[in-house]
Amino acid sequence: MKRRRFLAAAAAATCLPYLGRAQTGRAVTDATGRRIELPERVERIYAAGPPASILVFAVAPDKLIGWTSAWRDAERPFIAKKYADLPALGRLTGRGNTANVEVVLRAKPDVIIDYGTVSPTIVSLAERVQQQTGIPYLLLDGDFGKMADAATRIGTIAGVEQQADEWARYIRETLAFINQRLATVPPERRPRVYYGRGPLGLTTGRKGSINVESIEQLGAINVAAVMGRGGLVQVSVEQVLLWNPDVVITIDANFYATARVHPLWRALPAVEAGRIYLAPNVPFGWIDFPPSVNRLIGLRWLARVLYPQVFPEDLRPVVREFYTRCYHQAPTEAQLDELLRHTP
Amino acid sequence: MKLEARHLDFGYRGRGVGHDVSLALDSGEVLCLLGPNGSGKTTLFKTLLGLLPAQGGQVLVDGTDLRHRRRDEVARDISYVPQAHAAFFPFTVREVVLMGRTAHLGVFSSPSRRDRDVAQAAIERMRLGPLAESIYTRISGGERQLTLIARALAQDARIIVMDEPTANLDFGNQVRVLEHIQALAEGGMGVLLSTHDPDQAFLCASRVALLHEGRLARLGGPGETITVESLKQIYGVDVAVVSVPVDSGEQRRVCLPLVKGARGPH
Amino acid sequence: MRSRVALALAGACAAIAVMAIVAFSVGRFPISMGDFLSVLWAGVTGGQHGLDPTVETVIYQIRGPRVAAALLIGAALAGAGAAYQNMFRNPLVSPDILGVSAGAAMGAVLGIFLSLNVIAIQSLAFGFGLVAVGLVYVTANAVRGHDPLLVLVLAGVVIGALLGACVALMKYLADPYNQLPAITFWLLGSLASSAPQDVWSTLPLILIGLVPLWLLRWRVNLLSLDDEEARALGVETGKVRITVIVAATLMTAAAVSISGIIGWIGLVIPHFARMLVGPDFSRLLPTSILLGAAFLLGVDTLARTVAQIEIPLGVLTAFVGTPLFLWQLATARRGWQ
Repeated sequence: MKRRRFLAAAAAATCLPYLGRAQTGRAVTDATGRRIELPERVERIYAAGPPASILVFAVAPDKLIGWTSAWRDAERPFIAKKYADLPALGRLTGRGNTANVEVVLRAKPDVIIDYGTVSPTIVSLAERVQQQTGIPYLLLDGDFGKMADAATRIGTIAGVEQQADEWARYIRETLAFINQRLATVPPERRPRVYYGRGPLGLTTGRKGSINVESIEQLGAINVAAVMGRGGLVQVSVEQVLLWNPDVVITIDANFYATARVHPLWRALPAVEAGRIYLAPNVPFGWIDFPPSVNRLIGLRWLARVLYPQVFPEDLRPVVREFYTRCYHQAPTEAQLDELLRHTP
Repeated sequence: MKLEARHLDFGYRGRGVGHDVSLALDSGEVLCLLGPNGSGKTTLFKTLLGLLPAQGGQVLVDGTDLRHRRRDEVARDISYVPQAHAAFFPFTVREVVLMGRTAHLGVFSSPSRRDRDVAQAAIERMRLGPLAESIYTRISGGERQLTLIARALAQDARIIVMDEPTANLDFGNQVRVLEHIQALAEGGMGVLLSTHDPDQAFLCASRVALLHEGRLARLGGPGETITVESLKQIYGVDVAVVSVPVDSGEQRRVCLPLVKGARGPH
Repeated sequence: MRSRVALALAGACAAIAVMAIVAFSVGRFPISMGDFLSVLWAGVTGGQHGLDPTVETVIYQIRGPRVAAALLIGAALAGAGAAYQNMFRNPLVSPDILGVSAGAAMGAVLGIFLSLNVIAIQSLAFGFGLVAVGLVYVTANAVRGHDPLLVLVLAGVVIGALLGACVALMKYLADPYNQLPAITFWLLGSLASSAPQDVWSTLPLILIGLVPLWLLRWRVNLLSLDDEEARALGVETGKVRITVIVAATLMTAAAVSISGIIGWIGLVIPHFARMLVGPDFSRLLPTSILLGAAFLLGVDTLARTVAQIEIPLGVLTAFVGTPLFLWQLATARRGWQ
């Protein structure tokens, strides 16, 4: 039967190492410590998830072959049309992938890059895809402190060292600037912050969660840190009342609207005093969602929100510079107005 | 072949149903177990078949205690015909009869050519030939009972135990089944059947056992065991037992219930 | 009847062959039937096919394992379903009744929750599936004096519910950003990540389960009788039953550990098979297996071609299976007889 012979041939093929691409001896170590061979020139990069998409786009926009999902109308005005029109290829991260591996193969990437939390699950999945497709699959650590390093690595991989170094320098300068100013703030004036995610505002991040790194980076106290280390977690309104944060940050417009009139939430002194802030989120969130280099501008914004006296400068030029660098298009004045609408 | 119960106590876990029952069945005999509902007939049968453990005493087949024998060994000696029931899956009559051959098959075997021939012979013996490919669940109650008897025949055991084989059958089918039972005994099998109709015992039994409240009230030929007194004892009703002459010149016994206020032809 | 059975089996084999060729020829990566046959021919004869090497990757590394996995898992689930339906004398029984899927779900969700690697997740799913059924069996045995089948079913329902609650709890505690999507996707069932090693690891387990079922095919027929009746016919019902449970559980756990939860196949396919060839297990088993393989291959091919994103298999089998089941109920002669 045809099938039996096919099975024999398939068995032979799967037992042999994949021989499809001629590797040229350029190897890179990714965040998992794996040494991965890369082609001499990398022109086409497939970003396996939204954080990777933004990182690659920021550093090497012309090498990105597609996004994980299509750009929505509200987001499109912020980047050039040719980039917004890149195809939506789906996500490959985690077992919740929507990307068909064939779609990825059809797009003929030279490498696949993922950027975010590195766990054994994600590493083993990456290795499987690499084994199946023969395409090098690199994982980069999305930790806030390693952002400059991540940019540099993109430079090495994609052969855009100059742009990458420029980015790394910008990141380091921004962080240095903020840390320098923060050093002047004594511990007792560090605010307690609650970060509420989701339409009910009841999802928050525990200590070390990638989603609240911005807050911790600014030396503020994440009230949910008492729940220990970990990722996102569900809490109740009573818990938030008990924590009594000085500031509430959210990325969800619905929650922002509700909380300011809802009797339960208004019981919070922070909300009553108007110290609840909605982080801008076009084209990508400033605090989170996804947790990638887009958080850098969020850091400046949050710094001003939490320490208005320490960071009195107008944010407008800062935002303009960041958007130009990250999204390769200077924002219009109208767009800046919209972005900074809820900023004190 | 001889099936014997010696001072048998039988019942379910935690509940005794019968005590000190001793009886024996030889090849070529028809032993009829007579008793009212709840007297323990079915429980006794299940114990004799080894489906329930004996609570006391022994069940012996040709002198060997049943307790120590494997299921398939026992099945080669004794077959069981339960009351005809509804089945779950639409097997054909032929397939049902073929199931009787299981005791002769290895654990991993399926029926062979020879098994199919034995099944076919059983089908023909019960005159079920035209129904062989019919679906078991679609035929009548009487036909199903005959199928189960054919299955027991295919099992090729020397002793056959039948639990109220004529229940739910119409009059004609009842008589036909009793005729088959007589034929089986004449063919050399030992038949143990239960009934609560004394006339059936008169019709086909060589011996009768009366079961009353878990004990053997009488054991012997039909004439000595089925009497006005014994039926009054176990059923609590008045009967008349009369002899009736039949065509061939012999006398047949018949049991007539005496119902108060019954009108005769006046 | 013999010729009808032979026809049904031959028809199913032909259907599988055709669907396999179609499955290899459709997908997001454009490969025509001609290309597929060229690569195949080259592989068999050792020659060159002259096509882009990516075509070969897609055929051997992506579609090949996926087609093989679909066939294997469809066969395993349908075979286990047929065995259980006979054993429980109930055409409404699926292989999940003794809790194997609930156990496997718990194992996999635990693995994802602990951020373990893929092999560990699959092994946990397999192991917990077996343990769940073992627990059900032990519980059922401890309760005496009742119909053994009824107690098994009740124990399965109860323990399945308990495991379901554990899964729900872990979903609640899981990180909605990193873990929850993975958990949800696993629970919905998918063959999107099928890799060759999945097929090689599952194949022997499924075969180990199938062999006893085939060898015991005559005795499985007798399991559909009343327990005492079957024993009176010479069958050691207890031993046969536990063998069937172990075999069917092995097959189902192996299947579920790589595909996630896929329902309906174990329930509906044996029905169709029974309609075609009757209840005799020696005919029912091969027919169920072939039909199950064909069905899942068809559904999986749909799952990856019908829409832009992958549709989870558990969802699609329900969408396809429900109308088929209702149609069969409506047109069949009285019930399942």
